[in-house]
Amino acid sequence: MSDTAGNGAVLVVGGGISGITAALEAAEVGIDVFLVEKNAYFGGRVAQLNQYFPKLCPPTCGLEINFKRIKDNRKIRTYTLTTVKSITGGPGNFEVQLETMPRYINSNCTACGDCGQVCTDEIDDAFNLGMKKIKAAYLPHEMAFPRRFVLEKNACSPATLDAVKAACKYNAVDLDMQPQTFTLKVSSIIWSTGWNPYDANKITNLNYNSSQAIITNMMMERLAADNGPTKGKIVRPGDNKEPASFAFVQCAGSRDENHLEHCSYICCMATFKHISYIRDQYPEAKIYVFYIDLRTPGKYEHFREKFMADPNSTFIKGKVADIVAERDGGVTVIAENAVTGTKIHQKVDLCILATGMEPALGAQGKALGVNMDGNGFIVSDPERGMISAGCAKSAVDVYSSGQSSTAAALKAIQIGR
Amino acid sequence: MSMNVQPDLEFIKAMKEAGGDTLKQCYQCATCSVACPLSSDDKPFPRKEMILAQWGLKEKLIYDPNVFLCHQCGDCTEMCPRGARPGDVLGAIRAYAYRALGWPKALATLCSSVKNLPILIGIPAAAILFCWLISGGMHIPAGEQFARVGYTQFFGHWDFRLLAKNVLFIDLIMLTAVGIALTSLYKGISALWKGMEASIGLKDVPYRPSLVQFVKKFLWPSLIEILQHNRFRECTVNVDRVKGHRPLMLGFIGLFIVTCYSLFTQDVIGIFIPSMHGPISMWNPVKLLANVSAVAMIGGIGILWLNRTKMEAAGKATNTFYDWFLIWMIMGVGVTGLAAELLRIIGIPSLGYVVYYLHLIAVAMLFLYMPYTKFAHIAYRTFAMAFERYRESSYIKNPLNQ
Ligand SMILES: Cc1cc2nc3c(=O)[nH]c(=O)nc-3n(C[C@H](O)[C@H](O)[C@H](O)COP(=O)(O)OP(=O)(O)OC[C@H]3O[C@@H](n4cnc5c(N)ncnc54)[C@H](O)[C@@H]3O)c2cc1C
Ligand code: SF4
Ligand code: SF4
Ligand code: SF4
Ligand code: SF4
Repeated sequence: MSDTAGNGAVLVVGGGISGITAALEAAEVGIDVFLVEKNAYFGGRVAQLNQYFPKLCPPTCGLEINFKRIKDNRKIRTYTLTTVKSITGGPGNFEVQLETMPRYINSNCTACGDCGQVCTDEIDDAFNLGMKKIKAAYLPHEMAFPRRFVLEKNACSPATLDAVKAACKYNAVDLDMQPQTFTLKVSSIIWSTGWNPYDANKITNLNYNSSQAIITNMMMERLAADNGPTKGKIVRPGDNKEPASFAFVQCAGSRDENHLEHCSYICCMATFKHISYIRDQYPEAKIYVFYIDLRTPGKYEHFREKFMADPNSTFIKGKVADIVAERDGGVTVIAENAVTGTKIHQKVDLCILATGMEPALGAQGKALGVNMDGNGFIVSDPERGMISAGCAKSAVDVYSSGQSSTAAALKAIQIGR
Repeated sequence: MSMNVQPDLEFIKAMKEAGGDTLKQCYQCATCSVACPLSSDDKPFPRKEMILAQWGLKEKLIYDPNVFLCHQCGDCTEMCPRGARPGDVLGAIRAYAYRALGWPKALATLCSSVKNLPILIGIPAAAILFCWLISGGMHIPAGEQFARVGYTQFFGHWDFRLLAKNVLFIDLIMLTAVGIALTSLYKGISALWKGMEASIGLKDVPYRPSLVQFVKKFLWPSLIEILQHNRFRECTVNVDRVKGHRPLMLGFIGLFIVTCYSLFTQDVIGIFIPSMHGPISMWNPVKLLANVSAVAMIGGIGILWLNRTKMEAAGKATNTFYDWFLIWMIMGVGVTGLAAELLRIIGIPSLGYVVYYLHLIAVAMLFLYMPYTKFAHIAYRTFAMAFERYRESSYIKNPLNQ
């Protein structure tokens, strides 16, 4: 399969909020856009958030309207389960080879769910960060766009595959699908590959694996979400205890030359947001926030003030450097309070690691000739026809992602001219 | 917190020379205080010491017991998110403190830089050579005589019964060195103790422990703890050091006993029984202890040498004169001592005499420079540990004292 889209076409790699924004901005001035996404759905990390600041609205309110705009715009062609394999040529005449992994379910799918009903094999629910199991024939999440099922063929027994195929009334299950490679000719490439949560297992001193009472901030988003593993109830994974006390561990893996050197920019804000989730459900719970310094960009200052005033919340200047699992299922976090100069051993029911954002593209980007800085963020290089946007460029919030995506689209268009 | 912080160039330079210039990287996250296996809940370190050092508050640091309680294991350095290397910084602060507490100042300053190494070796070398020249012992014995007397007539021989000529000269050299060192340590420890008391706001305490009580309650338990190496074992990244440090320490204790014994036999008993002035028989238990101790010392320092090289290669420790000078000196004492003995056994007097001369230089250096080099930790750390006990004891915590 080959696609030639004439002059000035733009390839957008990564279909999170940044990629979607950049694609729409370019398409709405009449440019041909290809939007490719590694996952089976668009929306990226924002889709996983429960609410997002500044207004604390659900992610659907931002994403859904954009999905509709994409559907309505004939200039944008979208590809899921697709990644870039190789790039040749230069600005104005790139030839990009891409590969689409088999979904095993074709576009006939109406998301009726019958296949999931009969499927008996289960997989970890990646959207919910492995906090629950789902059927191997599944819709990635309730609001998934495109609204089409995915079949994890490798996880299924032959009997299951037969049953799944038989269950579909629309002839949408295609077990013979193969990975497909194809080539696109474009003038410029926008990298909006976003971020991954930093792997908490790598922060060995925090003993992430030692207790179910230690979760990450992204898990907190899912726990608080109505469409999450607990239907929005914040409870301790494992024993479903309603926590009476919480500890937030800021800078878990960020601003640390042994891990991510950069400040992840949003995790202080995310913690304040999580305090608001907790307060909705547990008005009296004790909350302890351990930090080096709290970074709340000016526009979010009021947010910070509101939660700093909470009498049941304590803010301790000192990074947690050790966590010990307790018999009762809770954990004790250990830090030095740098203001009083004494060590604290704080026992809590649930501990949230404010893990940071690690650029997602990683080593693959280097191999493709993408210009990256020491932390793995992609350096915009319009001269070479490659532009970065959103969290692929630097750790930012949704609002700033939108701004940088608009700017990226403008630059991409100029290259096409 | 507002204070007028004057950058102290001398202090900053000293930090830099002793491997502590990473300190400006510190952003006070306090990870190190939790990582440190030795830091207590009430008085954690080394985070506070890092900010004091950044502010250049050297007066506070010199009298901070935590500075001396640190065992330089490097656990904190391993975990520091900023590469500020708190373990190395504390080492540098100690180097600075030994210098600041040391007396005479000129000697203390001399010991702080590798540039002065020729002078540092030259002082005892010249002194011993001078003694050798004036002693009139200036001849190298023939093989048969060498086998009989060994090095006991290095500085010659006389028939005066009370004190062997050789012993007189060795005493002259070594006791001078030890005397200077002990005076320096006495002054240093007194100053440190007063400073540490002042740092916890102690001025007029109605009840102070008597000397006996002090030893019994605070000093002796500390010594026992040091012998057992409990704190060393707490370290994680460099726990292997125990394997070197413990034999080294036991070797030193062994050699200390041997020295005391020979001092006693030669200088006291020798007055009555002159035959005591000859070399000790190979099978004398004291000689046996001396040999075992020497081997433990060389083995121990060898392990520490390798360990340090490995740590530096892995970037876990900084290469500093402060750390190496002591390793070199101890290695020098051990190797020259053993070589001199071997040369005596196989009977090569000329080379034996040269090596023995080097041995005397190394021993004199170890004694003389003890208060100003890393070696000083055996005194300062012991008293810091005693102070730690004292600070937690009823003398301080007693409401009558408040
Ligand atoms: C705990 C937490 C809470 C947060 N809360 C908020 C909030 O309340 N408000 C706010 O403004 N911001 C918040 N953020 C930040 C927000 O998540 C980011 O700003 C946002 O996700 C950036 O979007 P993006 O499109 O740049 O990246 P992403 O959302 O990561 O999207 C990137 C997309 O690219 C895809 N991709 C990756 N690699 C490839 C590849 N090689 N090929 C193809 N596709 C690829 C990914 O699958 C993904 O879909 C929060 C972050 C965290 C960690
Ligand atoms: S694959 Fe078929 S059965 Fe499954 S959801 Fe789609 S349409 Fe329904
Ligand atoms: S935003 Fe806050 S928690 Fe996140 S890395 Fe920066 S300072 Fe640390
Ligand atoms: S030395 Fe390192 S670990 Fe200690 S407070 Fe400073 S930055 Fe943190
Ligand atoms: S070097 Fe070891 S003993 Fe010294 S402060 Fe660091 S962790 Fe503590």
